[in-house]
Amino acid sequence: MEAFENKLIGEIEDLQEKFTKTTQKLIKDVKRQDKIMIRSDKRQQQEYDELQRKFAEVEALQKEIEETQREVVFTMGAIGESRSKETGNHVKRVAEYSKIFALHYGLPKEEAEMLKQASPMHDIGKVAIPDAVLNKPARFNEEERKIMDTHAQLGFDMLKASNRPLLKMASTVAYEHHEKWNGKGYPNKLSGEDIHIYGRITALADVFDALGSDRVYKKAWDDERIFKLFKEERGEHFDPQLIDIFFENLDEFLRVRDSLKDM
Amino acid sequence: MENLIIEETKYTPSINLDAKKGLIELVGKSYPENTFEFYKPMMDWIEEYFNGNELPKTIINFEIIYFNSSSSKLFFDFLDLIEEMANAGKYIEINWIYDKDNDSALEAGEDFKEDFEKLNFILAEK
Repeated sequence: MEAFENKLIGEIEDLQEKFTKTTQKLIKDVKRQDKIMIRSDKRQQQEYDELQRKFAEVEALQKEIEETQREVVFTMGAIGESRSKETGNHVKRVAEYSKIFALHYGLPKEEAEMLKQASPMHDIGKVAIPDAVLNKPARFNEEERKIMDTHAQLGFDMLKASNRPLLKMASTVAYEHHEKWNGKGYPNKLSGEDIHIYGRITALADVFDALGSDRVYKKAWDDERIFKLFKEERGEHFDPQLIDIFFENLDEFLRVRDSLKDM
Repeated sequence: MENLIIEETKYTPSINLDAKKGLIELVGKSYPENTFEFYKPMMDWIEEYFNGNELPKTIINFEIIYFNSSSSKLFFDFLDLIEEMANAGKYIEINWIYDKDNDSALEAGEDFKEDFEKLNFILAEK
């Protein structure tokens, strides 16, 4: 009996030893696993922080690019205007009017904002018009009128090669802001909705501001006269829907005009 | 013994195992989809190399910029194996190469160095 018992104990001790070895290995593995997890979490957090930092950097750069683009576009517009002795505020007002039209017409907010930035470039083609014509303090003769009218095509040609969305938009604005709803505009005699909405909007915004301002060849019109003209030109020179938007939201337009008066 | 070269991918490092130069080199990131499967050829090669094919001196260059947790586990296993070889009398030098701007790579190297005290583990700034 004793010998049998001893054998069993021996076997159990064997088992105990194996069990201890196995559990020690398991404990070591689990400890290692925990260590790996803790370190990985720490590393991942650092990497996450680094990513966030880089994202912030990229975002700041993107803002910088957008700002630069905005400024360049605005300055180009101002250059076009300054050559024809109009004030910087003219382009600012046209920009704001265009945005109001765009929003009420139903363009998405971002597109309206872009149009606000692009519309000041509508007259950029004027930089290529000779001073003698551009600043003539009297009515143009037929020859001069022809030269003056090339500014739409010239502006388009200056901008059309760009792939930047904003400059592409500006090229459309420059090209089509003298087209008329009834097809009697220039340079392509487009009519109705064949004229891009950017062109139709800028046309109205530009004329509204030009009529209300003193120019080398004319005095500012009073509001009654402007409104009368707009009613007459609804569906002729201008998109009827835009004229409706103008009268329905007149206070908005007048607020902008008041806040951006010429000095 | 044949060399083993695995090209770098978007998620895995380049692996260069050169028996004639006694060089084991890992460079890049380590986010394999199946870590143990990806590194199996390397682990097999290393076992075969140290099974009588090794040079008197073996250099291991580790230049891992980012790695996931299963890679971390694999590197432990890898260093276990290397430690076993070193204990058996093989001369092995490990360079943990890190960019001075990458704190997390340096810390990871420090952690491994601490865990494998007996290895000739060198933290080498690039």
